[in-house]
Amino acid sequence: MGNDALFGRYWAADSIVHRLDPRTKLVGTIALVVIMFCAANFWALGFVALVVVALFALARIPFTQALRSILPLSFIVVLTALFNLLFVQGGKVYVDWGWLVISQEGVALALFTAVRLTLLLLSGSLLTLTTTTLDITEAFEKLLGPLRRIGVPAHEFALVMGIALRFLPQFVDEFRTIRAAQLSRGAKLASSPTKSGLSSLTSLLVPLFASAFRHADTLSAAMDARCYHGADGRTRLHPLAFSKRDASAAAFLVVTLALTLAFSVLF
Amino acid sequence: MAIIEFNDVRFTYDGQRYALDGVNLRIERGSFTCVLGGNGSGKSTLAKHVNALLTPDEGTVRVLDADTSDPESLYFIRSNAGMVFQNPDDQIVSSVIEDDVAFGLENLGVPTEELQGRVSRALAQVGLQGFEKKETAALSGGQKQRVAIAGVLAMEPQILVLDEASAMLDPRGRKGLARVCRELNEAGLTIVLITHFMEEAAQADRVVVLEAGRVVLDGAPTEVLTQAERLRDLNLDVPFATSMSMELREGGIGVPVCLTTDELAAGLREIAPHETGRLAEELRTRAFKPTSCASGTEPILEFKDVSFTYQPTPKRKKRRNAVQTDATPADWGNDPSEYWALQNVSLELRRGEFFGIAGHTGSGKSTLIQLANGLLQPTAGTVLAHGRDLADKRAAAEARRDVGVVFQYPEHQLFAATVYDDVAFGPRNLGLSSDEVEERVRTAMSLVHLSVDELRDASPFALSGGQQRRVAFAGVLAMQPTTLILDEPIAGLDPQNRHAFLRLITELHDEQGMTIVLVSHDMNDLARLCDRVLVLNQGKEFANGAPAEVFADEARLRSVGLGVPDLVHLANLIRINFLGGN
Repeated sequence: MGNDALFGRYWAADSIVHRLDPRTKLVGTIALVVIMFCAANFWALGFVALVVVALFALARIPFTQALRSILPLSFIVVLTALFNLLFVQGGKVYVDWGWLVISQEGVALALFTAVRLTLLLLSGSLLTLTTTTLDITEAFEKLLGPLRRIGVPAHEFALVMGIALRFLPQFVDEFRTIRAAQLSRGAKLASSPTKSGLSSLTSLLVPLFASAFRHADTLSAAMDARCYHGADGRTRLHPLAFSKRDASAAAFLVVTLALTLAFSVLF
Repeated sequence: MAIIEFNDVRFTYDGQRYALDGVNLRIERGSFTCVLGGNGSGKSTLAKHVNALLTPDEGTVRVLDADTSDPESLYFIRSNAGMVFQNPDDQIVSSVIEDDVAFGLENLGVPTEELQGRVSRALAQVGLQGFEKKETAALSGGQKQRVAIAGVLAMEPQILVLDEASAMLDPRGRKGLARVCRELNEAGLTIVLITHFMEEAAQADRVVVLEAGRVVLDGAPTEVLTQAERLRDLNLDVPFATSMSMELREGGIGVPVCLTTDELAAGLREIAPHETGRLAEELRTRAFKPTSCASGTEPILEFKDVSFTYQPTPKRKKRRNAVQTDATPADWGNDPSEYWALQNVSLELRRGEFFGIAGHTGSGKSTLIQLANGLLQPTAGTVLAHGRDLADKRAAAEARRDVGVVFQYPEHQLFAATVYDDVAFGPRNLGLSSDEVEERVRTAMSLVHLSVDELRDASPFALSGGQQRRVAFAGVLAMQPTTLILDEPIAGLDPQNRHAFLRLITELHDEQGMTIVLVSHDMNDLARLCDRVLVLNQGKEFANGAPAEVFADEARLRSVGLGVPDLVHLANLIRINFLGGN
């Protein structure tokens, strides 16, 4: 509920990025991640950051919303930065309290990792904000397609993923009802989840799993009833098609990679 | 020519009991057949045989002259005999409507160029044109069932099988579904409808009744549905108009035995034109519970101008003004952007009262229930229990103990390994000694007519649907609440179980002196059982008062897709006819 951007949620808008073929976006996101790992210094990383900001602008997603979307995951960034800060030593020592030593290299690496991780999360968020789950699923299936020859069930993987996503909001709803019902019977869930003990936890999880199995039972019958028999001979309502845009996107990413490498080597 | 043929069909799931035990059935092309039967009579098994989801152990099933056991004809049969299931949520494959409707066609390998047109045509046939890009999660139950039908229609089938497709819908959803079925049948589709609802059976041109895997009654609705005694023996209901007209005949008014209320009203006017005024009064009186003075005046639960929204806090201020001025109701589904789940609702529940709440799915009933026992806090207004504001955490905790809630499909919340442990969950959470827990479990289970000694160590998951629900009831009663809120406690049950549960609830009120809040779609039950009724529509109070007042204005209730008790409807019809006759 609400219209705030959230990691994993689709942000409906009409932009160049939204219109890209989902395969391009999926591969492009992976490419961006690779580029981020190629960036060896702050200059290169700063350049990648600029590219990410530009991509959000192209996607017509306000950058504040972009940051908000990764807020729930920011603890990963903070934790990693802290680890670097505390455990990486070298160079000038800023603080030395015996057990706590913070040195120059620690600070630098902590900052660097924090920025890199933030960018990673942002690019992941950009993919899901601009692509519907269905499109991601299909892109995933198509990209795994070649692996089918060596026996990887690409279509089935993708279908499972799609169905899982389709049932997600429903399970959230059901979980809410189950929780309300058990709370009404005095389950001590709200106060402290750790102390509430096994029985209170099972009182939530068992019904949820039972419901999942029930759904799965009917769903498989319903799919059979509609002639489902795997990927062979299936057609698609919206077959994926590459366009000029996708070629431009690819070129853009190649240039980004080249420049990042250049920055990394030259500075 | 028969389009579906069952020849001596027997089928068993477990090798011990036959779910179908020698079924012979011929269904004609273009017909509308309704299959009735109590739980476990083999209705669903029969339906799955038409679609070749199951194949007979003995005998043959032929659909469009193809044998369902022949693997070669599998997809021919499945694409020509479409099937819609009970739970609207379980049969939708995709998050976007058009992708879901296209699913069957994609499986059949229909070329992409043809797909969009067929998807749009199928959606138009079920009255959902223009819904292609909408998200399936935002639809109401009735709309989801129509999407499921569209998914079947896109394959251009000749047969449509609906397996209790209306069981989980509210009255508005049921009506929409019935209308779609009728239109499709008029367009030439053969329809097999499996249902518990007699009004739906009365619409068919043939009714088949199953019991223990055998066809026990078969014929036109006028022949089958009028056998009141026989139907009751089979644990089935009799349509209201039928039982009413038979009762009138016994009372000396010679109306023909009717299937619909309209027919009955017309018959009454013809036969006893001068008595309709008196009759209408009688019917009206019978519809409602005799006024009782039993309930005290002490309010135990009060809602004062309560509003509630599920929107997160930071957005509230911004959107509150904007949305309140915009009063256009959502024209489809449960609009997720709808801001208020409940708006300015006031009510007062008095000790010992039997209070009813009516409204469509999404009208705010579930929200109201959770506010009543302190699970949710109102966005605006106050909720008082015994005069104490539930915003206070301690008062809320006490209210939770004092107000028991039986949620919809409570058996879906069962979790423990044994029946005893499940019922004991509440008392144990209260920190009672094991003797006290034992005592409470015994009392609670005896209230729902279950034997502790028999079921103590049984797994709740191994029980029948009706028994599971009883166990779940007991789990709430074990908290020894003084007030019990029941959210559609009889939804999805067969007629026999429906009656049993309503009796149970009446007992809790009459004999245990509990205050009862009954949330229901069924206006007959509400009128017959309740002292007062609150009708909610889109989160707002639509009517509130004694049932006789609330159900006085039929036209107004119909305008929001709700109705009045059958008796009141009949009374109104004959009065209109009476006035018209003069």
